[in-house]
Amino acid sequence: MKLIERGLIVFLMLGGAAGAVQAQSKRQSPAKQGSNFVAAKDNVPVKLDTIPVTTKSADARHYYELGMLDYEDLLLIDQGVEYLRQAVKADPHFALGHAMLAFATFDPAESYKHRGLAKQYMAGAAPDERLQIRWLNGAKDGQIVPAIAAMNDLLAKYPNDKQFANTVAAWLCTAEQAYDRGAVILERVLQRDPEYAPALNDLAYCYALGGRAQLAPPLMDRYVAALPNQPNPQDSYAEISRMMGNFEAALEHYNRSLKMDPSFTASQVGLATTYALMGEQERARTEYLNAMSMTKDQPTIMNYNLLRAMTYFRENHIEEGRKAYAELAAEAHKKDFTVQEAEAHRAMALFNPDVKGAFHDLDAARAALAHAHVLSAGDRNTELAQILQTRAYLAARSVNLEEAKAALGPLSEMAQSSRSNVVQQAYHSANGAVLLLEGMYADAVSELQYDPRNPLSLQLLSEAEIKAGEPGPGHEILVKLAGINDERIETAFVVPQVRAALKAAPGSPAQPAATQPAAPAQPAAALTSEIKAPPRSSGFRGGPLD
Amino acid sequence: MRNRLWIVCALLLTVASLAYATDFAVIVHPSNPVRAMTLAELGKIFRGKSVTWPTGRNITLVLREPSQPAMKFVIDKILGIDQEGGKAILTDASRKSASPVVFVPADEDVVKAVEASPGALGIVDVYNITGGVKVIHIDDKQPFDPGYVLKGH
Repeated sequence: MKLIERGLIVFLMLGGAAGAVQAQSKRQSPAKQGSNFVAAKDNVPVKLDTIPVTTKSADARHYYELGMLDYEDLLLIDQGVEYLRQAVKADPHFALGHAMLAFATFDPAESYKHRGLAKQYMAGAAPDERLQIRWLNGAKDGQIVPAIAAMNDLLAKYPNDKQFANTVAAWLCTAEQAYDRGAVILERVLQRDPEYAPALNDLAYCYALGGRAQLAPPLMDRYVAALPNQPNPQDSYAEISRMMGNFEAALEHYNRSLKMDPSFTASQVGLATTYALMGEQERARTEYLNAMSMTKDQPTIMNYNLLRAMTYFRENHIEEGRKAYAELAAEAHKKDFTVQEAEAHRAMALFNPDVKGAFHDLDAARAALAHAHVLSAGDRNTELAQILQTRAYLAARSVNLEEAKAALGPLSEMAQSSRSNVVQQAYHSANGAVLLLEGMYADAVSELQYDPRNPLSLQLLSEAEIKAGEPGPGHEILVKLAGINDERIETAFVVPQVRAALKAAPGSPAQPAATQPAAPAQPAAALTSEIKAPPRSSGFRGGPLD
Repeated sequence: MRNRLWIVCALLLTVASLAYATDFAVIVHPSNPVRAMTLAELGKIFRGKSVTWPTGRNITLVLREPSQPAMKFVIDKILGIDQEGGKAILTDASRKSASPVVFVPADEDVVKAVEASPGALGIVDVYNITGGVKVIHIDDKQPFDPGYVLKGH
């Protein structure tokens, strides 16, 4: 998460940071965390088995320790970032402090500034500290190859620096989606310290997101046991349970978390979304309202409101949903919440039963970006890529090659120069949509496989596989889709359709989802409406993304 | 708290992440002056048609076992044939002395072998590279560049 820039996740961040601040609890002494600082007075490392940290200021050292403790070990992200800011304020020449702040902050401008300062003062850092700066800076500014080399050199040299290893693994399993590599690192950390709570949490997510969800619950048990009075382990357990389709367990863990800390907003929103996924939309709306009452942060409230509006679409109340989203789009426009405004229009497009109207909705989404006042180029491109990908998807569903090509054009240009995962995957998805419409099914499969976690792409991929004469893999993809339980608008649109289609298919295998809300209205020719059971069985594999 | 943020990051893909998870890196010893080659040239090395570096040193290919899943993609991209065909080419007894191929169990072993051998060329998941090897450009691109040819799914 730490690599996510706030502007890019503003729509669905769901107040995690706010919740983190509210959830802050007892803080351990940083002295127990195994740091390795080099004090100016003696210039001797405190410990030799962790990466050195050089600062001339005792205050900077103290704040850095507190920052790392909060940010990495206690997952109190905002509080941790604030301490890192204080660290570099106390010692403006603190190179690693600047690099860590640049890595951790959600503010792109702040990140850019402190990466520069880290480079400027890097000469004063110890050699291995410079390697860490190279990794931190490279991870943020796109110099990934040398960053990985530095990262692996440090992991080999400091096998006991579990905080560094955990930071690295979290980056691999989130920003890089390199789940196997991240899991290997975390497994090694836990071999050395089986009760290191941050690694227990992170490894569970690494497994779950990497398709080995069945390995996550035992780690969650250990995480809860390691921090029995903290809400976050319960919240994590709830989220993992929900990902696996175990909604009752999710509710139980969310409620335990809220019992420990009634202000733990993340769990309140998790509770609401779980009810939404269970098909209890009225209850979900009530719980979202409760979540809104727990924060004063306006973008966060807007995000919760967008999720609340989605509940109308989830229950096929299209007009009420459109009305709710239109009001939110207008409010977002007034408040300069550009991404939320665009997302509201994109949601309306996906659920618009009239395909021409859907394209108009996407025009409105794009127009919102055009008049943005406070949006970075990167954020704009990210949102634009998603809008264009949605357009290509809807074009494929309505068998409109011209529209699909029109969406692909600008995405192709963006993909030539952008390394952004979002842009690259949106491009491949749109290209796959065009190839599918052109009847080049094998090529469409190859392209759509580049975007394996987006329900829109997965649905098109399934169709391409089937049309390419591979009904088995096509069906497997649908089963995988049916097992996804998350709060994305794409999931809300595609997954109920897929579950309904699988259920209707003759000889279909058992359904993976614990509860199956109603499928949304179809805006165009439903790609999954003619699903037939494959000639060979393909058992459900348990995890939502495996 | 990171739990929720993890989900947002990994599932929603609304991140300024800069990389795919499975790019393959072509690595050589840092002392090797070669900085780039074409995919076609790499194919010739795989086929045993190119056996020496410009310095005259013999090329030793270091790869994971050709039957491993990761190698399917590598063989397909570089040789344009299926895994069995690739295995036949790479294990052809006639090439042993001129352009040897060394098979090792894991990426870590590939990296260690290339770190230790000035004439070696290896292919690994880019997330396993170290500072002891040099990543070379293929068709003017390196891992994570848009359009990089060894970008896996």
